[in-house]
This record gives sequence, structure tokens and C-alpha cells, in this order.
Amino acid sequence: MLMSCAIAFEHVTHRYPHAVAVDDVSLRVEPGETVALIGPSGCGKSTLLKLAAGLVWPQQGTVFVTDRALAPDNLLEIRHRIGYVIQSGGLFPHMSAVDNVTLAARFLKRDRQWIADRVAELAELVQLPRDALERFPNNLSGGQRQRVSLMRALMLDPAVLLLDEPLGALDPMVRHGLQEDLRRLFQRLRKSVLLVTHDMAEAAFFSQHIVLMREGQVVQRGSYRDLIDAPAEQFVSDFVKAQRGLHAEALDA
Amino acid sequence: MPESHCRLLHLLLAVAMLSLSSVAPAATTIIGSKAFTESVILGELATQLTEEAGFDAEHRRQLGGTRVLWSALIRGDIQCYPEYTGTLRTEIFSSENIGDDVELRRALAREKIWTSTSLGFNNTYVLGMRRDRAAELGITRMSQLADHPTLRFGFSNEFMERADGWPGIRTHYRLPQRDVRGLSHDLAYRGLESRSLDLTDLYSTDAEIVHYDLTTLVDDARFFPVYDAIILCRDDVPEAIRESLNRLGGRIDEMTMTKLNARAALDREPEAQIAASFLRDRMHVSAEAKVQSRSARIWQRTREHLAMVGISLGLAVLVAVPLGIVAFYRRGVGRVVFTIADILQTLPALALLVFLIPWLGIGYAPAIVALFLYSVLPILRNTHTGLADIPRDLRESAEALGLPRIARLRYVELPLAARSMLAGVRTAAVINVGTATLGALIGAGGYGQPILTGIRLDDTNLILEGAVPAALLALLVQWVFGWIERRWVAAK
Repeated sequence: MLMSCAIAFEHVTHRYPHAVAVDDVSLRVEPGETVALIGPSGCGKSTLLKLAAGLVWPQQGTVFVTDRALAPDNLLEIRHRIGYVIQSGGLFPHMSAVDNVTLAARFLKRDRQWIADRVAELAELVQLPRDALERFPNNLSGGQRQRVSLMRALMLDPAVLLLDEPLGALDPMVRHGLQEDLRRLFQRLRKSVLLVTHDMAEAAFFSQHIVLMREGQVVQRGSYRDLIDAPAEQFVSDFVKAQRGLHAEALDA
Repeated sequence: MPESHCRLLHLLLAVAMLSLSSVAPAATTIIGSKAFTESVILGELATQLTEEAGFDAEHRRQLGGTRVLWSALIRGDIQCYPEYTGTLRTEIFSSENIGDDVELRRALAREKIWTSTSLGFNNTYVLGMRRDRAAELGITRMSQLADHPTLRFGFSNEFMERADGWPGIRTHYRLPQRDVRGLSHDLAYRGLESRSLDLTDLYSTDAEIVHYDLTTLVDDARFFPVYDAIILCRDDVPEAIRESLNRLGGRIDEMTMTKLNARAALDREPEAQIAASFLRDRMHVSAEAKVQSRSARIWQRTREHLAMVGISLGLAVLVAVPLGIVAFYRRGVGRVVFTIADILQTLPALALLVFLIPWLGIGYAPAIVALFLYSVLPILRNTHTGLADIPRDLRESAEALGLPRIARLRYVELPLAARSMLAGVRTAAVINVGTATLGALIGAGGYGQPILTGIRLDDTNLILEGAVPAALLALLVQWVFGWIERRWVAAK
């Protein structure tokens, strides 16, 4: 480690019993930076995120979060510095929205007033109506669920946000609105964000730093422009073209 | 949500404790009896005579067969029970080749058992057939059975196994029959009547011999020994009680016993009343027939039944839930635990109960242990399934929040598994309500008691007196668990 970083993977390899999910990947996310991970399904982008959250462990290499190497004995502590949001929201269906948001803080015995203030602050930040807080996840809309999930991830004011297709399950209108809100939020909070998406437009919308993966390896890192103007290999052009395909054809028609 | 588990547990424990309080033993003399009418009458006579001598006495009726009664006597679960000399010779002291009654008395004394003098009748085994069937085949003697290999034999279950029963007869008379089945003694008469059986074992004092117009076969090769009725007591039973019991000596001849049996089996007179009137009329003893009112009877059995179901279920929850959690997190442990639980589940309930008697005696203990063992698997399996069915997303979300394993279990995983766990408890409870009726076989009482008696006396009303409350209780259990589920576990 030469300099401070939010997340760093150093020669990280993770194998599932029959496949290599992440193959000798080295990657850094600087403090305050948003990095978008993109690639076809099965390319290892979600596994990389889980490695950062300590949900899976590398067979080789080391994962650093806020300059500390992940290890079983510091895992719980480091996770309090991480906010994790997944496509389905991952909200616990037996708890109200507010109970979901405050679970970790209550477990850590944070001051009740602090918790209440923090919830109010976050609800405003993610623009969640106050009455939605008392509802159970099944009674929330898809967009509201993701807003609650984001509140839960932000509750302990983590340094790092790990977002695994957070908008993937939403319909286009809701999704578009939330994209705007999220980008504003990232800029305002200056969190270090690692965002997994399969949508090139979304990746470009959120970040100047796009990491394209294929079969467990990083193919190219750069801005959207870089990927188009200076593709590292044919796969990059094919992937970008495939992503643009329908839009382009529709426009050309 | 997590609190609801505690509440549920408290509820179960409360039921268990409540039931336990009604089970506390008292310093009474406990008289046992075997599962047929004559033994119950003799047990009732002994009970009333004990009370008449100024002691508290309780009659645990129709506990089962010789083995159960004898081991209960040796263990001290019961203090006295009526027995027959021939049974002692061939079943209990079979290896010793005991000759006369003096030798038998000595053998019993070695086991610290006292015996009364003979009550006055020999209730030997006889083999009986419908009179018309026997006449049709020209059978009057047991040796003639060898000429009819296709006859269908049905013997009481104990007789099937006893050295002085079917195995002995078969060798002694060289009998070829293969269609031989075991069944309850009291059902055998009905089998004969309906012609589904040709021959069964009878007791010579059975009232049904006359009633069903049966003919008894002459034991021409002298197989059956003498079965003089006696009463056995542990030798630590007070002298006064033993003296009082000895007053029965020589007072009941075969004709008298047959008539007493007829009053119970054919006229449906309660055994307690028969015993009381016998003591009053023949022995000028003013005995009191304690006949409970129907509602008192049902209430007592309800308490007994609830005690068995509640305690066994409470214990099973306390054991199976943690075990299911461990089995989920430690796969190796899980395999071992499930293998054992699966094997336990396949044991027939009756066999399990009898296995437990040498260790736990009769009464609540073996019944509760057996029901406990049957409750473990459904709760264990459903706890495991409940945890295994939690979506990976949710499991990982809880992990990513930085909660330690215990907290994840408590706040997330157990609440999510609660519905499945509760369904397991519910299944176990319903099974238990049914299985607990077998508790009556080993002296634990409950709704099985009237069912057993009803089968013995061919009394449908009595069977219903046990079966209907048992069914209602099962429905109630279903309803209560449904309510708990809606109230506390419903998916939001």
C-alpha cells in the first residue's frame, strides 16, 4: 500500500467449485471516487463486490477497505464502514422500514436521539416520505424499497458504498428518477462508491471510471469515451456496440 | 418479532409446568392390574381392601401385560397387583423349573415379593371355538387340532409370546397351523363371533364363554399348568395391608369369578361397584365404590393428557430448536443428528414405550420421554428447513450490516424461520395428542384410558369418551397454533 485508498484488490482470485469467478484482479477505488463495474453476466463483477464486503473470501490475494486488509477478526468493524445495497433491496420482510434502517445502529447501542435524527436526515436525503418509514417492505413500491435500502446502507455513515445493480429491478421511469437522485447524492456525500451495473449508459452516467470485466478479469479501465475511442481489444468495442445497439438502431431508423 | 419466540416458549413452558403440578406423587399404595377385565376387578378388590385397612390406595388399571406389571412391581412403581401362579412359573421364573407353591413362595421372597394365599380359583388358559364350528369339524380335544392345518387361530398378544402360550402348545401338540395372528384378548371374541377366527385362547373364568356359546377344548396332553389367582405385593408393603388382602384367600371360586366377570364384561357394571358389592355381600366389608362423575373423569384425563403433551412438547422445543440451528450451521453435526432423529421416528410407539419401562418404570416418565422423542424430528427438521430457506440475499444483507452471527440469528434468521419452526411445533403437537392416547397402556392415563377400557368391554360410548375429547384437543391445538401464527408470525 503506497497511498491511502478506499478499496483495493491486490491480485485477488476467487474460484467457485467449478469456475473461476475472479481471476487475479487488481483494482483501486480512491477516496470520494465512483467506480462502475460493468460486463456481461458471469464476468465476476458481483463476486468482486462480495469480496469487498467480506461475504466471500479470496483464495489468493488481499482485499483492502479503508486501508485495512480484510481479515476475519476485523471484518465486523470494517463492515460498519461499508454500506451494501443489492438489486432486490435485501430488506428484512419482518421489520418495518425504519427498523430495517436502524437495526445495526440499535445493535451497536447508539443513542436513541442520534438514531432518530439520523433517520430524519437520511429520509430527507433519499427523499423518502415519512409515512413510508413505518411500512413493511412488502407495502413499499420498488423505488421506495431501494431508497430505504440506501438509507440502511448510509445509516452508520460509511466511507464506502458497495452497490450491486441497485436500480436493476426498477421500471424505467422510476429508475431514471432514482439515477438522478443517486448521482446528486454521491456528489454531495463524497463517498467512495463501487457500483455494479450491466448497463453502459448507467455506468457512464455515474462515473468517469468504468471498469469492464470479462471472465473474471479486468479488460479495460477508463471513461466511456476511452472505451469507445481506444478499446483495449475487440471485445470492448463489441460490448459497447451491443449496449448501444437498440438505441442506435431505433435512432437510425 | 424476536420477543414472540420468547412468548411462545413461555406459553409452552407454562402449559408444561401447569400440567406437572397435577402429577406430583402422593404417599399412597398403588395397586396395578393387567389389561383384562378379571385383573381389573381383582385390582379393584385389592384397592378397596387396602383403603378399608385405613390406607390411601390408588388403582392403576389395565397397565398392560405380565412383563410391564412385574417390572413395575420390582421397581416399586406399583406396590401390589393380582397375578396367577402358572404365569409366574412359566413367565417370570421360567429358567428355574419351580415345583410346588412353597418353592414359588421362596423364589418370590428372594425378589422381595410377598404373595397372598390363593384367592380360591384356577383361571387356566383354555382354547375355545364356536360350538357349531367345533361340532362341524368334530373337535373336542386339543390333540385333534393337528388334523386341521387350515384352521385360523387368533391369540391374545401376550399368549402369542408366552412359553405357556402358543409357542409351547405348538411344540407340545405338534400343531401345523400357519394362519396364526395376535390380537387383543377382548377382540378375539368378536373375531370368533364374526367367523373371521376359528379358535382363540380364553381364560376359563371368562364370562364370554357362556355368552358367545363357545366350546372349550380338553387339554388332553396336559399342557397348561395351574393358574391359581393370588395377589403379589412388595414385601415393604405394611403388614396391615397384607393381612387385609389375605382375607380374600379362598373366598372366590371359579363360578363366583365368572359371574363377577360377566357383570363387568356383559352388564357393563363398573368394576369398582362390582368389587364393592362383593366385599359388602360376601365379606361384610363396607367398601366404598369410588365412581367418578363423567365430567370429573374427563377433566382428570384432560389434565393427564395435557401433562403428557405439554411437557414432552416443551422439552422438545427446548432441545430441537437449538439442535436444528446447530445442524444448520455445522453440516457434519447435522447429518448425525438427522440420522438419529430419523431412526427414532421409525420406532413403533408401543415398542418404544415398552423399551423405556425397565429404565423409567410406568406412568408419566416413559410416556413423556416417548412423546418427546417423537416431537423432536418435526421441530428439528422444520427449524433446519426454515433457516435453509432464507434467501441468500437476506442472509448476506444481514452479514453486510456488520452484525455478529448471534445477532443475525436472533434479529433476522430466527424470525424469518419462525413460520416454518412453528409449523414443526404444530405438527409435533398434533401427533402428540394422538400418540399420547397410548400412554394409558403404561399407566400415564389420559384420553387413552376410556378408549382401552371401551375396547376391553366392547363399549362404544366409553371409546367415544376418549376419542372425542382427543379429536377436539387436536383441533384446539391446530386452532391455537393457527392463531399464534396469525398473531405473531404472519408475513408482513
